[in-house]
Amino acid sequence: MKLLTHNMLTSHVKGVTKGYPLLIKATEVKVNEVEFNPQFISRMIPKLEWSAFIQAAEGLGHLQNLPSTVVPEFENNEDFLRDVHKVLLEVEVIEGCLQCPESGREFPISRGVPNMLLNEDEA
Amino acid sequence: MDSAVIKDSYQCVRYFCTTGSGLEPFLVEEVKRKLSASDVELISGRVFFSTDAAVESISQLKSAERLFILLHRSPPIRAPVSQAKAASVVQQSIVGDPEVWEGALCTWSRLKTRLTGIKMTRKRKREEEEHTEAQGGHSRDIQSDTSGLQTDSEQQKPTFRVSCRSSGALARRFSPQDMSRLIGSAITKQLNWRADLKTPDLEVNVYLSDDHCVVGILLSSQPLAKRSYMKHTGLRSTVAWAMASVSNIKEGAVIIDPMCGVGTILLEAAQECPNACFFGLDSDVGQLQKATENMEFAQLQGRVQLLQASAMGIPLPSGSVDVVVCDVPFGRKFSCGSSMAAALPEIVKEMERVLCVGGSLVLLVSLQLSTLLKKRIPKDAPAPHTPSSTRCPASDALLSSETHTCATSTHHGDARPSDRTAPQPFFSLQTNSFHKVGLGNTDAIIHTYTKTRGL
Repeated sequence: MKLLTHNMLTSHVKGVTKGYPLLIKATEVKVNEVEFNPQFISRMIPKLEWSAFIQAAEGLGHLQNLPSTVVPEFENNEDFLRDVHKVLLEVEVIEGCLQCPESGREFPISRGVPNMLLNEDEA
Repeated sequence: MDSAVIKDSYQCVRYFCTTGSGLEPFLVEEVKRKLSASDVELISGRVFFSTDAAVESISQLKSAERLFILLHRSPPIRAPVSQAKAASVVQQSIVGDPEVWEGALCTWSRLKTRLTGIKMTRKRKREEEEHTEAQGGHSRDIQSDTSGLQTDSEQQKPTFRVSCRSSGALARRFSPQDMSRLIGSAITKQLNWRADLKTPDLEVNVYLSDDHCVVGILLSSQPLAKRSYMKHTGLRSTVAWAMASVSNIKEGAVIIDPMCGVGTILLEAAQECPNACFFGLDSDVGQLQKATENMEFAQLQGRVQLLQASAMGIPLPSGSVDVVVCDVPFGRKFSCGSSMAAALPEIVKEMERVLCVGGSLVLLVSLQLSTLLKKRIPKDAPAPHTPSSTRCPASDALLSSETHTCATSTHHGDARPSDRTAPQPFFSLQTNSFHKVGLGNTDAIIHTYTKTRGL
């Protein structure tokens, strides 16, 4: 699971009103090289919940040099875009789980794929 | 007669492609957009076009099955009652002008060389034959020797085989085998080309019906629809591409497929739109494993993320997605615990929830599910200029959203059309278009909607 995915995911357990952001409990993290596409990263930055992104990166020990707020005119700042690219797309949680901040429900991550399926009584 | 007279080798060439049923309009749009093609015409299952675009880019067409050089397209053959006369009329109509064939042959060998990077001359082929036969020490060496004495021009006569599809009156009078033999012997006689059923240099393709007579030379040995970047196949790649093409995907968009299977639609869409972000959801971990391999194989793992989740409970915030695209499972190939007809309303409701206002919903459904959806989401285009097919620009979506809001403020009044008095479960979805497409042994319908307002 990449941090891009994490940034979008919410817990949808019945009764939960704000299941976001999910807490990452990682037991195996990998860094896989992904081709850098500055346009793609520039397009994704406005979509990100930045504070959740920083929090997740910090939790995994991969904060790099990322600032607590988005830098102005980031489209032309290649160093910044490269840092975001690395943390957003190259850092990958292979094993572990995601925990709902409200209900405490844990969603396992196995072979890099988070399992967000709910039991019938939870949906 | 619409014929391919190629004088200069770098002139515009007239081609045609075969395509799946219902995909012809998509192919027309694609050749116009990607190849700046002119004189684009379609008949059932075939699209004709002229272009001077490089053959490499033509062979990258996504909604086509096979690519041909057009020899000629003639009026349908009206065969006389006598069988012998009929045979001769067929032969004359198919072969026609030998110069057209010689011209097309030049074009074919030039384009084939560019496509494969191999010079496809008879000479080379003979050398290969001689090489293999030298080991077997066979009597055909004599044949090659004699042909070696022939003049250069004769040496370039290709071997061929005929692939003929006919329907209607002619098909009732000649079996496919008879028809191919008939045409084959005419080509041999008039052009001096040699028939070779097993390993011909080229394939002459003939399509005869009560309405058409189309003759061409096959250019692509592999179907274009067979994608080199796909490891596991699911939905037909051409249909998947067509769905992506009506999704109105913009730069920076978030696209999800809530029942992605091996990820065919996402793969086709991601190839076409490099700066968008894709999520594939599926409840089956086996499918997701194959999808992962597909994304890695196509080197798309940076832009396509996979999640194990149910389409009934998408773990994403409301209004966070620009496009939802989905091949809703049906039929034998897919079995689902509960009946899809019963589950579909809830699934569509969930898709509607995650879509942002102005976002697109594109579904591929069986005929049965299509009827069900049409009942639930009436086609009541509020904006008079809403396009009946193809994509709906964002401005249109916004405009219609406004019209819609106005209409609601008067609230379920008498002014509403009668079909709106029924409860509206998907009141934010506006129907854009339906496209019937063939999936081999069954047909399905692509439904496209725009979410026109918040829930």
